[in-house]
Amino acid sequence: MKGAKLIQVYAKVLNQTEIITNHFILKIFSPEIVKKAIPGQFVMLSAWKQKDPLLRRPFTFNRLFPEEGSFEILYKKVGKGTEIMSYLKAGDQVSLLGPLGNGIKFPQNTKKIAIVCRGIGVAPMLAIIDKAKEKGIDIYAYLSAATKDLLLVKKEIKQKAKLLYITTDDASLGTSGKVTDFLEKTLKDTKIDAVYTCGSKRLKRHTERLKELYGFNAWVILEEHMACGFGACKGCACKAKKDNNHKGKYFLVCKDGPVFPIDEVEV
Amino acid sequence: MKKVDMSINLGGLQLKNPVMPASGTFDLYEDNNLPYDTKVLGAVMTKSIFLKKRLGNPLPLICESTSGLINALGTPGEGVEYLIKNKLPIFRKANRTVIVSIGGNGVKEYKLLAERLDKVEGIAALELDLSCSNNVDNIIIARDEFLTEQTVAQVKEVSTKPIIAKLSANVTDITKIARAAQKGGVDILSLINTVSAMAIDIKTKKPVLGNKVGGLSGPAIKPIALKMVWDVAHTVDLPIIGIGGISNSEDAIEFLLAGASAVEVGTAALINPLVMLEIIQGIEKYLGQQGYSSLEEIIGLA
Repeated sequence: MKGAKLIQVYAKVLNQTEIITNHFILKIFSPEIVKKAIPGQFVMLSAWKQKDPLLRRPFTFNRLFPEEGSFEILYKKVGKGTEIMSYLKAGDQVSLLGPLGNGIKFPQNTKKIAIVCRGIGVAPMLAIIDKAKEKGIDIYAYLSAATKDLLLVKKEIKQKAKLLYITTDDASLGTSGKVTDFLEKTLKDTKIDAVYTCGSKRLKRHTERLKELYGFNAWVILEEHMACGFGACKGCACKAKKDNNHKGKYFLVCKDGPVFPIDEVEV
Repeated sequence: MKKVDMSINLGGLQLKNPVMPASGTFDLYEDNNLPYDTKVLGAVMTKSIFLKKRLGNPLPLICESTSGLINALGTPGEGVEYLIKNKLPIFRKANRTVIVSIGGNGVKEYKLLAERLDKVEGIAALELDLSCSNNVDNIIIARDEFLTEQTVAQVKEVSTKPIIAKLSANVTDITKIARAAQKGGVDILSLINTVSAMAIDIKTKKPVLGNKVGGLSGPAIKPIALKMVWDVAHTVDLPIIGIGGISNSEDAIEFLLAGASAVEVGTAALINPLVMLEIIQGIEKYLGQQGYSSLEEIIGLA
């Protein structure tokens, strides 16, 4: 969406659900934003008019509903901003700025993709999955979490994925191993065209190693504290990998990402 | 309501209105996607540029505090040649009045930068970011009267453009530094830069920022900035650009009444990209309602 003008709008909350303790799905009506949004992109949201909290908060699209003109975000209550957001109910107003950053793309002739994520890192995945389904692409899902309750939106992913693998640290569901071991198992007899990962440094590293071994396209979706979201404050820097001619360089998560080729950034 | 004259002349720098971005909180890209036409601004301002490329500080670079933003970016940038070749054309397209902010490791670097930029077309003025630490004397220029005067004087020697000295709030008496800049021959003063600050994470028991300490901006510093503008306006007869937590037209008008002839807007524009536009309209409306015909009439009225 290079060149598209940013949109700043007030939007109505359609509904909000606390899916498990401190984890919320917020549905917002904003046809202007949804029309332009690509999975992997994000919005800067403010649900406060006073100066504390001060900054907007960045949220990736959990799901996009272009026909309805609405979208969902999935978030965890962690501080002042998300605390205020957790009280939002149908009809309340929020301020949005977006869509921001670079969204995901599928390489040409993609037949199969994999998503690899942990905990709240599942936040951008349903939007990617919906887009893939639309294009007739098969989805292989690899979910990891500390415990089974934190396998967020697992049910929805299960409905849409061709295969779903799960690991939990306490083995409350699935095994307690590395979920990327299952990805490796799949890769031995299945050609995956693209992998998208989010939410874990460890999973990012393992996915990167598998990319080198099996040669697929892979992207990591990063999250970072941001003041602006549009490349002005330079606060959301991440380190570029030393190889690839990026020695001593920072990328901006908001402007250069948040979707990065997996071997371009250090996390 | 009759048309209000919003233009202002700051020591040779002519602006069509008094509102511009604060250095370091504004950037323009090839695919300029800001939701308004930047031509409406009084000027556009680059991030502080150094001679050479700088990576900046270790991560994390920013954190929020009560009604404020603490940053410790460390002035990352690609260096002056990159700015001239890649950024300046974009800035020039965005607004007729381009101010370039410069930083340096020591007095000498400011002079070299000013000399280089004097040969470049399309720059209306230079703002000296004097809050960078000085490698030679291991002191921040803006905290030292002698170094401030020296830096301004050296820059004035080689530059034909109006020179703005951006002053630091982290001093015992900002009026003394303002006077020193005046002695050095500065054309305009801008104040204040961020206020020294930090945050500590009580879970990790460590400073939040990679650089441990940083600079506070945003509404939290507005009353501090306003008082410093007031103090300097009552001491030194130079045009002042007021900076510090300006978030709406009421804030901007307070600075004008305190003695500023123009304002820079930083943190607020990170949250609401349209805020500078709203401030311009708000000042114009206020002047009209109060029966003034020009901006100049309210400067320093308080």
